[in-house]
Amino acid sequence: MVLSEEAPAGESCMVRNEWVCPEYVSSRAELITEDLLQHVWITVVSVVLGLVVALALALLVRRYPKLEDGVVGTTTAIYTVPSLALFALLLPFTGLSATTVIIGLVLYSLTILVRNILAGLDGVPADVVEAARGMGYGERRLLWTVELPLALPSVMAGLRVATVSTVALTTVGAIVSAGGLGNLLLTAVNTQFKPQVFTAAVLCVLLAFTFDLVLVGAQRLMTPWTRTRGA
Amino acid sequence: MNIAPISRKSRTRAGLAAAAVPLLLLAACGGGGTDALGGGGDGGGEGGGEVVIAYQDYTEMSIMAEMYAALLEDGGFEPTLKGVGDRAVYAGQLTSGDVHVAPEYVSSMTEFLNREINGADAEPVATPDVDETMTKLEDLAGQKGMTALEPAEAEDANAYAVTEEFSEENDVTTLSDLGELGRPITMAGAPDCLDRPDCLGGLEEVYGIEIGKFEPLGFGTAQTKDALTKGEVDLGAVGTSDGQVDQLGLVLLEDDKSWQNAENLVPVVSTEFLDANPQVEEILNELSGVLTTQDLKDLNRQVDAERQLASDVAETYLQDKGII
Repeated sequence: MVLSEEAPAGESCMVRNEWVCPEYVSSRAELITEDLLQHVWITVVSVVLGLVVALALALLVRRYPKLEDGVVGTTTAIYTVPSLALFALLLPFTGLSATTVIIGLVLYSLTILVRNILAGLDGVPADVVEAARGMGYGERRLLWTVELPLALPSVMAGLRVATVSTVALTTVGAIVSAGGLGNLLLTAVNTQFKPQVFTAAVLCVLLAFTFDLVLVGAQRLMTPWTRTRGA
Repeated sequence: MNIAPISRKSRTRAGLAAAAVPLLLLAACGGGGTDALGGGGDGGGEGGGEVVIAYQDYTEMSIMAEMYAALLEDGGFEPTLKGVGDRAVYAGQLTSGDVHVAPEYVSSMTEFLNREINGADAEPVATPDVDETMTKLEDLAGQKGMTALEPAEAEDANAYAVTEEFSEENDVTTLSDLGELGRPITMAGAPDCLDRPDCLGGLEEVYGIEIGKFEPLGFGTAQTKDALTKGEVDLGAVGTSDGQVDQLGLVLLEDDKSWQNAENLVPVVSTEFLDANPQVEEILNELSGVLTTQDLKDLNRQVDAERQLASDVAETYLQDKGII
């Protein structure tokens, strides 16, 4: 058997199977980046779609309060379905594609997002709403310019939890070949490849941390009144 | 909807090509599961088209899938690889034609289909004889819209390993020898070994080996091999194509009563896809014609011990054999 010309000369940290291995990162940079990018876009698309769907559900509940128990109960029940089972259930319809994973992640994000949006809207002071009405605000203008901005801290808190949890859950998508960094983790766990386990895990944590920072920053920009109140 | 031309290096996960435009991809995702995969339809031309290869995501199967991909790419196809957690994930997709090709083991696939078609308690039909088992596989696969092509000589059957030391001290080279020792043997293997006739059941009944203690450390895992080399167990369950057995100073005991089923590597193809692209049969059978168990061992070792990429290892092998 002729070895590949890319065979490492001498013992590398990959062959020694060390947790921290710069050579692994540099030699596999292209593959790692691919999976990292897949992880990022699956997470972003899932969270954005989740937010849209959750907002729609929350507004529906506000218009028809009788639906609240049903909506909150159903989204919570979905949250309890194990992700392995959920992906397997979706598989016949959506195949081995990112769609399967994204649908699952959107469903999982709903329970957190719907609850937080509802809590945020419920927390808007009644006198503020009344004042706005008195100034002639219609329902739609009231919602977008008064209620939702005041609900933002609660909505953003939910969004942060949902995003971090989505970053973690995306990895399970590896079982249908669309798990971002999870693809690396699945292969590495099966072959006891420590540098790959370590690198993928660290990147997952950094990714969750980065998303969270971005959301905190966005919230500060969107709610300037929360900072100037004390001044 | 097609995503992007897929280069050799980055084709592993095709969806990634569109990472820069997530929203566009989202649009593609709506039907992506089937649209992108339905390549078979455009009919049998020389140029081929898209081919989706699914495999169980561990070293041996990733190397097999990479070899199929390199061969098919050489034959004018655009391969996409889908490594998944379990055979059950892609089996239905082979029937529906969303997955086109999968590397398989003759007896394992035969029994998988046997259980799918005839129920979980179906009488086993696989045997130690490859040709006999292939006849069963062809029949069962046919019922599920799949076609089994030519099996390779290379085989990854269940095997049982001891250390060279143990073998010499006790003069044991076959499983019968081990049974004749007449003392309890400690063993490591997959947790399901306890219930399997091709594992614990057969060791006791076929060879009269008394298993005194069983450690559920997995089939051919590093933990099982560790336990063997450290002397914590006498016997360990590994595959015949395991690349690290020699290096670790282990020997496989001969299955002298031919008890283990034939587990040769075989390409299983969606029949619909094969009808549209009949040249695939010849392309994939070229590999089956040359691949030996020793080759597979070497390939596994290059990935598991030398930590080379499965795609590099696969391509180098095919070039050395002059197939691509």
